[in-house]
Amino acid sequence: MYDVCIVGTGAGASGVAYKLVEAGIDVVMIERGGFYQEKDFSKDEIAYCKREIVTPPFKESYHTIEDLEDGKWVKTSTRETESTYFNGNIVGGSSNFMSGYFHRMKPKDFRLLSEFGEIKGANVVDWVVDYKEFEPYFEEVERLVGVSGEVTPYKYHEPRSTKEFPYPRLDEHPISAKIDEACKKLNFVAYKTPRAILSQPKGKRHNCYYSNYCGSYGCSSGAKGSARASLLQPLLHKKNLTIITHAFVKQLAEKNGKVSEAVYVDTKTKKEHRIKAKLFIVACQAVESSRLLLNSKSKKFPNGLANNSNQVGKNLLFSAGGIGHGQFDTTNMNFKELMEEGTFVNRSLCDWYFYDDNGIKKGGIVDFLFEHANPISKAIKQRFDGSKLLWGKELQDRIYHKIAKTKQLNFEVFNDWLPTDNCFVSVDEKYKDAYRMPVANIRIGAHKHDLEVGRFLAKKAEKVLKTMGAKNITSSISSAPPPNLQAGGCRFGNDPKTSVLNKHCQAHEVSNLFVTDGSFMPTGGSVTYTWTIYANSFRVGDYIVANWDKYWG
Amino acid sequence: MKNITRRVFIASSVLAGTGLALLPQGKKTHIKLELFKTLEAVQEVVFPKGLKAPSASEFGATAYLANVSSHSSFLESDLKFLKRGAEELMDTYNNFLTLSSKEQEKKLREFVNSSRLGENWVAFVLYFTIEGLLADPIYGGNKNESGWKWLGHHAGQPRPQKPFGELV
Repeated sequence: MYDVCIVGTGAGASGVAYKLVEAGIDVVMIERGGFYQEKDFSKDEIAYCKREIVTPPFKESYHTIEDLEDGKWVKTSTRETESTYFNGNIVGGSSNFMSGYFHRMKPKDFRLLSEFGEIKGANVVDWVVDYKEFEPYFEEVERLVGVSGEVTPYKYHEPRSTKEFPYPRLDEHPISAKIDEACKKLNFVAYKTPRAILSQPKGKRHNCYYSNYCGSYGCSSGAKGSARASLLQPLLHKKNLTIITHAFVKQLAEKNGKVSEAVYVDTKTKKEHRIKAKLFIVACQAVESSRLLLNSKSKKFPNGLANNSNQVGKNLLFSAGGIGHGQFDTTNMNFKELMEEGTFVNRSLCDWYFYDDNGIKKGGIVDFLFEHANPISKAIKQRFDGSKLLWGKELQDRIYHKIAKTKQLNFEVFNDWLPTDNCFVSVDEKYKDAYRMPVANIRIGAHKHDLEVGRFLAKKAEKVLKTMGAKNITSSISSAPPPNLQAGGCRFGNDPKTSVLNKHCQAHEVSNLFVTDGSFMPTGGSVTYTWTIYANSFRVGDYIVANWDKYWG
Repeated sequence: MKNITRRVFIASSVLAGTGLALLPQGKKTHIKLELFKTLEAVQEVVFPKGLKAPSASEFGATAYLANVSSHSSFLESDLKFLKRGAEELMDTYNNFLTLSSKEQEKKLREFVNSSRLGENWVAFVLYFTIEGLLADPIYGGNKNESGWKWLGHHAGQPRPQKPFGELV
């Protein structure tokens, strides 16, 4: 028997694992995929961007997606759409493949309801902890995971307990100075984007070598702050950490109101195994965490583990917003400077995190970045001119112009995905995976407010591109979710009737069960979730360590 | 994911429109050599030799396709579609392989304009032709890095020691 069994090895799993292992608690982590280390990763676009290599193949598992079509919810299998909602099923999870744009949530993000009031059709609530309680953990992430940057003062900047980031900012592309110039003209603050990428070495991790292939790819130097590189690999020599790979946890068994065993299938041998532990932690990304609880039915929990209030899977969050871009060529910049590879843009707009537009609104942020270097993806998009299929010289000229002559500066808009009754995870006995377990059904209903805020922010970003002289500026704000930015589904709160977890991310109904990925978040902030997930995972880890002897030891 | 870029869902909408998704999944399909000859001819039409661009045969487009389509990561539905389109083309123009390149181009235009399947299939073949142009040569295409050289593209380092993300 282990002390603690953690399902998952991503950011939400590894923060808590780090604390427990350091405290001498015997931990086993169960990972669905394999164990890739720095030497295994390459910048192979086919493997990491074009095939399902680091996610389960569709024949093994999939999701069903419910979209609203003509007033009806229509269910489609991702086996048909071939668009996966799994994200990096290897040790370290999707943090291996993130771009690492790290923004902290703001103090007001922890109390959206109190600050901005109700929004009709949205289930906005305040968090049960505040920024002050989170701040030491945001800071800890900066140190342990490694955040590089330079603090940019602006009117909504969150309080910090340290003056600066522990690692200096990464090298920047010449276009960053152009963004600064444009922002100055517009009276916008060009916010220097912090990144979870080391600009200097840390322990056995090397600093960033500016490979030009960062987001979507595993890091070959260890600079990227993946949960694997930053938290798990440094602990591998410890005898009280075991990582089981190629293991899909299909159910958590319950006995006398507590979790007694994790039941997993070895995905290579297809054999079933059971693991006993005193305490169980679920952190396999929001959708799959809710699915695991919903699939863990027992007499005491007929609707799924910790789900007697029917809250598991509810109020699922993605990140709202969209993308936009503009083209740059030699009319904008010296060709050599424009085509410089590897360095980062690292500029954001945060001036409208809150804004007054006939009443104060919660806004969001915009990150600028170059279109990913991936030549295949860039060239493939050239096949169509509108709806006209091109080939031959016409296509070749377009590909050449796109890749050899121009560069596309993108922006990504992040604003709150409001929690609603129409965005949730459920399971349906009719749709099962290769292990005969119901797959997660994801109903995706976005609140129209999300689109309004997104459009407002996109206009600001477009102004920057216009001032810079970019060509073909466009943006697209959509209610289509980014499948890699998931949170919610197991809200934390004080009331067991309206939340799954208490403020320590411990299930109200099951005292030896915690959920430590993004599932706990009742609202997400207008930032990518990884930093918050890391910070919360550390926070919960500290709580479990402090109370280990009292409750579980 | 796959592209873990945040907005892959939107960015891939063009591909999603090809209608491939509706094909049923089943037993592994095999493509006969004959059909590869058709694919080879079509790839040369859609990606001919340019002033500086390498032609499909020069960069190894068909070798690439043969290679990747036999790997387990190649979706069964994709394989079926690849086969179905090639068969349909040959059924419609059974002398396609003996035609001059100009004639082949003309027939392929007709094929594309005559049905949705035709257009989707050619777009689909182009998709994998472009992969073969710019994927790491470890997969059998991009011969002598000719695709990269044409575009002045610098490969990301490290390059793969093994294909399909196999552990080193």
